[in-house]
Amino acid sequence: MSLMDTIERGWNGLKRGWNGLIGTRHIKGSRKGTANYSYLNARVKGMKGHLFPKETYPRLMNMEIDQIARYIQESSYKEDIDQLAQSYESADLVEHALNRNLAVSFTKLINISEDEPKYLITEYLRKFDVWNIKTILRGKHVGASSAEIKENLVSAGEYTYTFLSGLAGKESTDEVIEAFSESYYYQILKQFDGTNLSDIENMLDKMYYEHLYQSIYETRTKEFKLFLRFVQTEIDVRNLLTLFRTKKENLAEDEIMEMMIDNGNVFEMDDLKKLVSLSYEEFIDELKRYSLWDKISDCCSIEMSSLIAMETSLKKYSLTYARQFSHANPLSIATIMDYIITKNNEVNNLRIIVRGKSAGLSDEIIRNQLVI
Amino acid sequence: MGATEVKPTRSELIEIKKKIKLSESGHKLLKMKRDGLILEFFEILNQAKDVRSELDAAYEEANTKIGIAKAVEGTISVKSTAFALSDEPDIELESNNIMGVVVPKIKSTSVSKPMNKRGYGILGTSSYIDEAAEAYEILVEKIILAAEIETTIKKLLDDIEKTKRRVNALEFKVIPELTESMTFIKLRLEEMERENTFRLKKIKDKAE
Repeated sequence: MSLMDTIERGWNGLKRGWNGLIGTRHIKGSRKGTANYSYLNARVKGMKGHLFPKETYPRLMNMEIDQIARYIQESSYKEDIDQLAQSYESADLVEHALNRNLAVSFTKLINISEDEPKYLITEYLRKFDVWNIKTILRGKHVGASSAEIKENLVSAGEYTYTFLSGLAGKESTDEVIEAFSESYYYQILKQFDGTNLSDIENMLDKMYYEHLYQSIYETRTKEFKLFLRFVQTEIDVRNLLTLFRTKKENLAEDEIMEMMIDNGNVFEMDDLKKLVSLSYEEFIDELKRYSLWDKISDCCSIEMSSLIAMETSLKKYSLTYARQFSHANPLSIATIMDYIITKNNEVNNLRIIVRGKSAGLSDEIIRNQLVI
Repeated sequence: MGATEVKPTRSELIEIKKKIKLSESGHKLLKMKRDGLILEFFEILNQAKDVRSELDAAYEEANTKIGIAKAVEGTISVKSTAFALSDEPDIELESNNIMGVVVPKIKSTSVSKPMNKRGYGILGTSSYIDEAAEAYEILVEKIILAAEIETTIKKLLDDIEKTKRRVNALEFKVIPELTESMTFIKLRLEEMERENTFRLKKIKDKAE
């Protein structure tokens, strides 16, 4: 069965409905309904006010890890640090507190929203569900302990921590897969034969984007259209990164095409097919014709040995895009998406500083990874 | 064995002469082996220096890359991705012979893998993870190479030391002692011959 067939079947499975799915957060969001964007935007604006301003990062760069922990303890991360201080210390404490705070913030976002925005936010945050499923599957596959797997879960999506940690305690991958038999992930998960984990992971990630696009595309209200553009941009960035990584590795064309996500804005399927068929040098040359080239041109060349600078540039672009999108469309889903991206970015930046210092990376390397 | 402890007989003299001849040829051969091993050692030493500096560089690079991956993607992400890598590299041990010294030859397979064979999905990961994984693959390869060369060096050094001790023992102990014994026997035999001649003369005098 090809990847497309599997995704198609999975998508059909989803259409049959989510109702009654064990372990989910009882989300009642729907595509239709009166969405009070003004109220939600006011709440999100309040939440955004708790985010660190960009001037904070240079200050944090001059602090030790424990000082950083103390600093963020005096902000919205207080409860997370207080809760986890007994179990972790130093960089581990900060990282787990950041992840906990991210999960709590996104869950709060789902809880305070209703109808249309709730539906959109939930659909978007399913990426954490996919992440958790992959983590549990990987852990069970290599025989990691239940505690190890639980440590790596971030329950910011639809599945609750209780449900996910219950899965981490299952005996085998088969039992984990069976627990998803009512979900649309099952169509993909049941193909796991113990040797094709990377294929399953790719299928799950691809299905997430395809499903996200489809679920938005079918309802053509103004908000959905705005959200659609946002998702399309994310698909473009994801496709571009995959293209760079796979072309550099010289993978076979059909293998790369299997990983390409349809429905991007800049790269349509024909563009992707053309780019995939080119050699690495021709591919970079051809990219100059596309608008995304401007965002990566200063760090992208045929001779580049590392893709890290390019990936960081694309992250910066995603952040800038979300911000501009939010300014251009106030009191809409764009503001909420901007918060999600910015919050995620804040957590990433804090982690980069703390983990970078803990790994003994130079200030310059740490600064280059920050997306401000 | 002290020179005076040997029996001053002709057969013993012949035996000692044989031993001296054997010791001298052994000494010559061991000296040649020692010199050969030293030459081999210096050749491998240069390789070992290169491999060690490459290993240090690879370790530094791998540490930086994993540091960046942990910082940007999070330890959780790196750990979770590492769960996916269940294949261990195959290491085969063979032996090589350098002038009688058995040294290991390590063959490794499936250390460096293409990105799509590393076990983790490409869509859900990033180039930070790829580069950390690649840096560690290079590091493992360098460790295997360094293990082979440094074990060879260690074995060569052990054998050079052993051969040197044997050469010295032959040169400064065994051969001089044998030569001393030979001289002692020769002198004793000559003396015995003189005594015999004297005795014969005495007997002849008495008989006359």
